Formats: sequence, structure tokens, C-alpha cells
Amino acid sequence: MKIKYIIFTILALGFIGAAIGLKMFFKPHADINKLEVEFKVEATKLMDEFQKGENTATTKYSEKVLEISGKLVTKSKLKNGTDLLILEDDMQGVSCQLDSVWCAANQPAIQSLETGKPVTIKGICKGYLMEIKVSPAVVVK
Amino acid sequence: MLKKLFILVLLISSVGVFGQGKFIAKNAFISFYSSTPMEDILGESNEVVTILDAEKGEIIFQAIMTTFHFKRALMEEHFNENYMESSKFPKTKFKGTIEGFNKEMLKGPVANIKITGVLNVHGVDKTITVPGTLGLVDGKLVGTSKFKVTPEDFGIVIPSVVREKIGKEMEITVKTDYLPFGQ
Repeated sequence: MKIKYIIFTILALGFIGAAIGLKMFFKPHADINKLEVEFKVEATKLMDEFQKGENTATTKYSEKVLEISGKLVTKSKLKNGTDLLILEDDMQGVSCQLDSVWCAANQPAIQSLETGKPVTIKGICKGYLMEIKVSPAVVVK
Repeated sequence: MLKKLFILVLLISSVGVFGQGKFIAKNAFISFYSSTPMEDILGESNEVVTILDAEKGEIIFQAIMTTFHFKRALMEEHFNENYMESSKFPKTKFKGTIEGFNKEMLKGPVANIKITGVLNVHGVDKTITVPGTLGLVDGKLVGTSKFKVTPEDFGIVIPSVVREKIGKEMEITVKTDYLPFGQ
């Protein structure tokens, strides 16, 4: 009787372990829409912080969810179809690659964006390479 | 305006390129791929910055490790946390020179080139010579390269438990469309 229980417990534990393992293995990418914003910041202020002290700004913002507001200066598509928005400065501004799943469902919102107008995006800050890289991102307004 | 100009000069000098005549790409593509019977691993970034100095034939590539995306979130996590240690070594960099460079290479059709330079991955420098192509496609300067690297050469330790799942060598693919800059 006791052996039966032990075998059952081992099997159950093995099953739970395998289920957790599989769940982790097939874990989906984080949905940027559902992530909580950690910093709300103006694009110009963010640029200033990175230009004045890259290391400090990288430690503060890298891999964090940011809500960034600024003037849209470039709206384009990369070769692989990814929508790209650049805020404030074409060369050294905030470069945001939009989330492809979000884009597929929100084409009208992207089409309505006009350069020269203010825009607010939410995305994960990746760091600084001539410009501030943000990806993936979604348009808030 | 002056401040902006100063910052721009500072930025350019920070990637080590001076002089007239440069080409730039801020959304160049780099992927690395490894295939084994167990699993294919493919990481791609479209956020690579590269500058080509049209006077000296110098090429610089820089990428932020966390911009590489994978099919599975777990692969991305392992890549950044276990192998690349991206919080410690956030960027990868290559600085090299095109062998036998002359300015005609930037004006003609796509031709084969060789680039020798230093690749820095995971904080480790290694001198490599890689094949590539460079030339005009529809009036735009386009560069490509494909070569293999071994993770262990860059001090990347892959535990024996998963060693079978990850190829001995990684195939690196580079594609970039350059735009004239500062000319």
C-alpha cells in the first residue's frame, strides 16, 4: 500500500515538474501593452540624460518600461516590415521599433500619426547607440 | 544649435571616425544562427548602428545585446542572462578596415570584399578577417557579410548539459543599407 503511494507521489511530482518545464520553455514574450510603466518622461529630457551621462542613464532606464512623449520627426518602415518612429531628432533622438503584433491590430492608429505632431509611446528602453533605442513599443496617443 | 553641433561631433568621435565622407545606418541587421539536430537557435536585431568611413575604408558596427530577439522568450532570457551577461557587457562592437580599399568600391556594383578588424563580444577582443560584399543596389550602398564565430573564443561558457543543443559555431549574418552622412 505504502509503495503505491510513493509511486503515485513520484509520478505526480514528475508530471508537475514536466508541466512547469514545458510552460517555461514555451513561455510567450512579455506583452508590452500589459506591462506597468516605470518612468514617464519627455523625449528631450531622456536624450539630455543619456547625452550627459550614458552609464548613469543606462543603469536607470535600460530594460525598463518607459512612457515617452515628444515630437514625431520620422515615421518609416524597415525592410522586414517593422514600423519605426523617431522622436525629436532624426539622428540622435528616441528611436522606437513598434511591436509587430500590436501594429497588425492597430494599423489605423499608425496611419493617423503625423510627423511634426506630438506623440506618446510606451516601450522597453534598450540603451544608447547614437540615439536612444526603444523596442518593442506601442503608441499610447 | 552650437550645443547640438558639439554633441554631434562628440558622438562621432566617440565611435572613432573623423573626417569627411561617411555612410551610416542606424537600423542595420545582424543575426546569429546555430543549428543542431536538437534545436535551431536564431537571434535577430534590427537596431545595429554602423558607420563606414569613405576616406579610409574603416567600418564600425555597434549593437546592444538586448536588442537581439528570439522566437522563444526563454531563449532570449538565457542568451542575455547566462551566456552574454548583457547587464555586464551591454554592447558588442566591431571595428575593421576593408582590405585594399579604394573609393571606387563605394560607387560600383556589388563586389566581394574582405574586412579585418577586432570583434568585441562579452568583453573579449578577437581579431577576425571576414568575407563580405559591398556596392550599389538601386543607387544605395549595401553591405553584407556572413561568417562563423565560436562562443568559447569570447569566454562564453556553455554548460555541458545544454552544449548539445547549441551549435559549436554560430553563423553571423550582417545586412546593411548605408545612407550618406556628413558629406
